[in-house]
Amino acid sequence: MAGLRRDRRIGLRVAAGLLGVGLLLVVAGTTFAEDPSPSPGVSPSPSIPPTVPGPAAPRPIAHPTDGSSNQCYDCHAAVNERQKAIADAWQGSVHGTGGVTCADCHGGDPRSDRMGIAMDREIGFIGTPSREQTVGVCGSCHSDPERMRAYKLPTDQYSKYWTSVHGQQLLTASDTRVAICIDCHGSHDIKKASDPTAAVYPPNVPALCAGCHADAELMEPYGIPTDQYDVYQRSVHGEALLVNADVRAPSCTSCHGSHDAKPPRSTEVVEVCGKCHTATQELYLESRHSELEQAAPKCWTCHGTHDVSQPSEALFFHPEPPQYLCTTCHDLENQTLRIELDQFADPADRRCDTCHHPESDIYAQVEAIAGSLSEAETAYADAETRIAEAADIGMIVSDADVALSEANTSLIQAQAAVHTTKLTLISETAGEATTKAESASDLAQAKLDESVFRRSAMVIVVALIVLNVVALYAVKRYLERTSRGSGGGAPPA
Amino acid sequence: MTAEIEQRPAPEGQGGWIEKRTGARELMAALLHVRIPVEARTLYFGGIALFLFGIQAATGTLLALYYKPTPDAAYNSIVSIMSDVSFGWLIRSIHHWAANLMILFVVFHLLRVFYQAAFKYPRELTWIIGVGLLGLTMVFGFTGYLLPWDQRAYWATVVGTDIAGAVPFIGDQLLLLLRGGTDVTEATLSRFFGIHVLVLPIALAGILVIHLTLVHQLGLANPKRPDPRDGPPQGATKPFFPDYILDEVIAWYLLLAILVVLASLFPAGLDDPADPLVTPEGTKPEWYFLGVYEFLKLVPRTIGILLPIVGLLLLTVWPFLERSPEVLMRRRIFVVVVATAILVFGIALTVVGFRS
Repeated sequence: MAGLRRDRRIGLRVAAGLLGVGLLLVVAGTTFAEDPSPSPGVSPSPSIPPTVPGPAAPRPIAHPTDGSSNQCYDCHAAVNERQKAIADAWQGSVHGTGGVTCADCHGGDPRSDRMGIAMDREIGFIGTPSREQTVGVCGSCHSDPERMRAYKLPTDQYSKYWTSVHGQQLLTASDTRVAICIDCHGSHDIKKASDPTAAVYPPNVPALCAGCHADAELMEPYGIPTDQYDVYQRSVHGEALLVNADVRAPSCTSCHGSHDAKPPRSTEVVEVCGKCHTATQELYLESRHSELEQAAPKCWTCHGTHDVSQPSEALFFHPEPPQYLCTTCHDLENQTLRIELDQFADPADRRCDTCHHPESDIYAQVEAIAGSLSEAETAYADAETRIAEAADIGMIVSDADVALSEANTSLIQAQAAVHTTKLTLISETAGEATTKAESASDLAQAKLDESVFRRSAMVIVVALIVLNVVALYAVKRYLERTSRGSGGGAPPA
Repeated sequence: MTAEIEQRPAPEGQGGWIEKRTGARELMAALLHVRIPVEARTLYFGGIALFLFGIQAATGTLLALYYKPTPDAAYNSIVSIMSDVSFGWLIRSIHHWAANLMILFVVFHLLRVFYQAAFKYPRELTWIIGVGLLGLTMVFGFTGYLLPWDQRAYWATVVGTDIAGAVPFIGDQLLLLLRGGTDVTEATLSRFFGIHVLVLPIALAGILVIHLTLVHQLGLANPKRPDPRDGPPQGATKPFFPDYILDEVIAWYLLLAILVVLASLFPAGLDDPADPLVTPEGTKPEWYFLGVYEFLKLVPRTIGILLPIVGLLLLTVWPFLERSPEVLMRRRIFVVVVATAILVFGIALTVVGFRS
């Protein structure tokens, strides 16, 4: 029985985490979906259910105390190995070291070593809180500013939780399979979020969420895909966080939220991405795209969601023009512009020409943008190759490196300027990048030319040295001949 | 021919004018007109090391005209030498390669003297001073390596001084003395520069004069027979000048050609500027400390430090430990085999260090 409870706790803990990753699709594809314009690959929900307000935070569990006794620990540590492990886990936890005792969550009288008194339900002992109770037990302290002030912790987690898809499902459907506090933070072994061994430490978050959201059986009732973790791991974000251990890179909670976990709405996605990509967001807001509002292509239209990859010039065009239908971009019934996000589910379709027809004016502008960027990128790659060649033969290329670094800055600016969709700006910036890259390339070429000169000079110098050696050798032979003629080896001087 | 030179009267004109005021002819005759055993085989290692020291003195002086020994300016001054100063790349590259070759040829010279037992009576002091010269040459290389103040130099010095810091009893004080503090900083660069361009050249030149004077006074050793304790050495001889000198100059010329080729094809490099906060992968000391560095990984630290020190001390006093008059290798087979085994072990450790 105890094993079953533990398994269930582990399962639910992981479920809570992974739900963050899959929320995007959860909302779009389930009955409590609220995003009218969901992520690619799922159908929009016809209605957005209103958020049901959560209950007020209960009062902390009252129990008698003398301020220091914790007989619970002494007895439970002596019961058996499992109880000892739990007691030790608590003792090493942030609660155990912070003065939060067993009775603060379980009730009872921590002063007594007699079970009948210490675990007397008459005085408020509640035993193991149910999953419904647990949120309240945690919230009773963690929503209390007076209690939390000493720890400098926020107090909005409880209220936020009830706004999350997890909390809403627990509240409205009494669905105890959804994630609650202990599923992510643990129960007795709670650690600070800044502790690298904590499940909620950023690089550990994707695996934590995947614990539930990659579980096909667990997700089946909600109709949620379970491949988000696999997809995320291969993305630029996943690689930065999981492979390069760059804690600045986004985990599931960066986009979906943690206590208030839910998928970003279509109208929110620019803000969500813009939390990190601030400069790009500003450029996008200058663009014609952003003016289209609901029908606008958003970040995920071109870059995807969990599968964000390194942007490249491949984002401009399909290798072969796609099949165009009026309904690709237009709602025939309402005579309005409409972008069907399903069309961008496949990364191969995240292209400008998915929407912009080859015979349109805008297509020609896209071609010009792609052309100027391609020219800059080619010039940059050429410079890079030439500098590497010069460095390989031992030339000092620091000046060319500096020039290349400046070209790289301009190139990044030009690539970012694509988000404005303004041809003039992009062409100007890309032109600057091309000029700077060519300048770096010229510096590297000068090094290569210098190396050729050095090698030519080396041949001449070595030839002169050889001539000298031959001359000296001739003198030596002459001396040896004359020496032999005059008698040679004499006794020591 | 030698006899002709010795018997010819001082020429009139300018040469005669100088001769009358300096007596240089007599001095040169005393220096050059000596005889050496026809069986002497120096392989020119010592002479080449001397030639390389001359190259270092000349190129080092030129580099010092442009080098700026502060962390802020050192790296850029090297970039400037390599990029802006006319033939600066050549001067620095030759200095770089000659430094490495000098250590190599001093070691070759020591090995030649050891295997030929040329350290035996009456050349014990010459040997001890020679070991001292090897030590000074390595300190020359160690202090010079830091001066470019790039990542490779900085971290090689960190690792190298760490080894010194592990010496039992005096390690902490030695580390403080070398670094001028607990870390490799501006203070380290200042003292390494000062030692490299002031202390070491004077010390090495002075000791070198004593070494050469002893070589001149005692003559070259005969690898076939020991010098007798009483009476002059036996066997046929040949003139040191011009016969031997000619061979030596030819060897110097060939070394010069090698230096020009190395400097042209493999100019001295420069890594990223030194950054104490970024430890590059594969940090290791210079090649001539790699053996000791690898040895430290194999044995307990104290042994790894003490054993090379004891080995160096034994090497220094070796003429007083191997006292038999035998000079032929086949009659010193035990010593030769043990020394060769140690040498091969050291080379193997160095190779492992390169590959690690």
